[in-house]
Amino acid sequence: MRSAVSTVRSRVAVLAAVTALGLGLSACAADADAGTADPTPSASADASDAPRVVEHARGETEVPAHPQRVVVLEPVQLDTAVALGVEPVGAAVLNEALGVPAYLGDAAADVQTVGTVQEPNVQKIAALQPDLIIGTESRHSALYDQLSDVAPTVFMATQTDPWQDNVRFTATALGDEADAQKLLDAYDARCQEIADEFGTAGQTAQLIRPRDGILTLYGPTSFAGSTLECVGFTTPERDWENSISVDVSPENVLDAKADHVFVTTTDVTDESSVPEAVRANAAAFPQLHLVDQAWWITGVGPLGGQAVLDDIEKILSAAS
Amino acid sequence: MVGALAVLLGAVALSVLVGANPVPPGDVLDALLGRGTDTARFVVWDQRLPRTLAGLVVGGALGVAGALMQAFTRNPLADPGLLGVNAGAAFAVALGITFLRVTTPAGYMWLACLGALVVAVGVHVLGGAADLRASPARLVVTGVAVGAVLAGLTSGLTLTHPDTFDRMRGWAAGSLLERGPQVVLPVLPLVVLGLLVAALTARSLNAVALGPDVAQAQGVDVRRTRVLVLAAVTVLTGGATAIAGPVAFVGLMVPHVVRWTLGTDQRRVLAGSLLGGCVLVVASDVVGRVAVPPGEMPVGVVTAFVGAPVMIALARRRRATAL
Repeated sequence: MRSAVSTVRSRVAVLAAVTALGLGLSACAADADAGTADPTPSASADASDAPRVVEHARGETEVPAHPQRVVVLEPVQLDTAVALGVEPVGAAVLNEALGVPAYLGDAAADVQTVGTVQEPNVQKIAALQPDLIIGTESRHSALYDQLSDVAPTVFMATQTDPWQDNVRFTATALGDEADAQKLLDAYDARCQEIADEFGTAGQTAQLIRPRDGILTLYGPTSFAGSTLECVGFTTPERDWENSISVDVSPENVLDAKADHVFVTTTDVTDESSVPEAVRANAAAFPQLHLVDQAWWITGVGPLGGQAVLDDIEKILSAAS
Repeated sequence: MVGALAVLLGAVALSVLVGANPVPPGDVLDALLGRGTDTARFVVWDQRLPRTLAGLVVGGALGVAGALMQAFTRNPLADPGLLGVNAGAAFAVALGITFLRVTTPAGYMWLACLGALVVAVGVHVLGGAADLRASPARLVVTGVAVGAVLAGLTSGLTLTHPDTFDRMRGWAAGSLLERGPQVVLPVLPLVVLGLLVAALTARSLNAVALGPDVAQAQGVDVRRTRVLVLAAVTVLTGGATAIAGPVAFVGLMVPHVVRWTLGTDQRRVLAGSLLGGCVLVVASDVVGRVAVPPGEMPVGVVTAFVGAPVMIALARRRRATAL
């Protein structure tokens, strides 16, 4: 019952996001028209510095042409901003103890944490005096008015939309759609290279996230699952229940059998993080790879995508 | 009592035969004899038998701990969690996950044992457990207060550390998954010791049920009984929680059902609670395996589902809760 409702909801959200994106683009076009109609000679320069209007999940908001002090509340927004060379002043993180994900490197070294993704801290955000806040309607809906009082705030619809769409939305908010598209194209091109080099076509791959003895299998619509498909692997068929992942009892661990099986962990050198059920059936999992959940699960974005591709390339080179 | 034993055997048989993987019963029997397919042998030997053993140990320990607690406090609503032992175990596990990056059930087991022990000793000292004249209520109030503080600290820790929250959610639901011999065997001697001590106190508890003065008049060493009961409850609850996490309602519900069917002689109540606890946890685990395919529901969630209606039914029977 509950999952049916959330499915409908996410479909509506996808629709809303697509519509918002479309309207956003047409709003930009309208702005440009207005700019050319302006009688002053330096109209084009003005237009690029003039505030832009961004269409988003909560309506239309005027944001600076080139935001300098950005706060992001969602991992995909942080990853995208850093990838576009805009280091946010603040970011909500999944784990305050760990802080900003290490895979983002020095380019994110000065990002302050402003609470968790689930519960951003409005006071900390205000203290950073941002000029743009990017959040997520499905998570931060209740905070919108408070955040809007601090700075122009735009919300993407939901973190469960296809990640490339969320990358494009973040880029639109930052005013850099063209470079975001270049990053996504580079990701696709690298997928193709890996697919060609290692002849992955026809092979299967399955990503498993062990949780409390249950095995969560990630499907083709998840971030890392779609990356495995992008490099040419096929995910073993099963009923994905319109979800990015499905929980499976360890008794049915053999359902996760594939030519390559990837298991997420916080420490890839710790063999004990392979679930007992998988270890007990070692013969059925000849190609088993431990991968870091920091980017395989939570590193959604162009940089995380490249990190996942790095891993896949390394693993396939070692295997061949 | 013979009936209870038969029900227990039935529950164990179901636990070996039924699961998320529909292995035919014939294949299960083959696997038990060491023959049959790899899959059947894996499902039976690596999954169902270990969790059946874990369920028996956890259920028996919680059932007896609940019976002891209710007899000792002379309160039919007493629960082994009232001594704060569960909360202590949970807090230690949360600390370990957050700061020591412990990730395996075996690691949780040692942390939970340590936490349960430290809190039990603390509550007994603060609550004046050795003071014969003090009412058992003083100890229980201390346990509840300490437990509440620790539960608050635990939720503070989990709310500020989403990773911890994620892992605690699984542990705190109470689960028998991945509770193999390396988790159960270190705790087993502790639980057996607790059961033996409980058996020793059964006769004196019958006297204590009439009040400490009457008990003393009957020649029962009330102080010795109290110390033994508290030690047994601590060890049994700590051991069960260390294996599976906190499994709700078993310690509260099972002694009620037993008194309702077998009468109020503590020897019968304790023995019945041992069997009843085993049956409840093992059967609930079987239900959890098939409740939400293709995943599973943790056993602690199932016992809560079963427990709440049973408690309501019992509350509506006038004499059911008498000790």
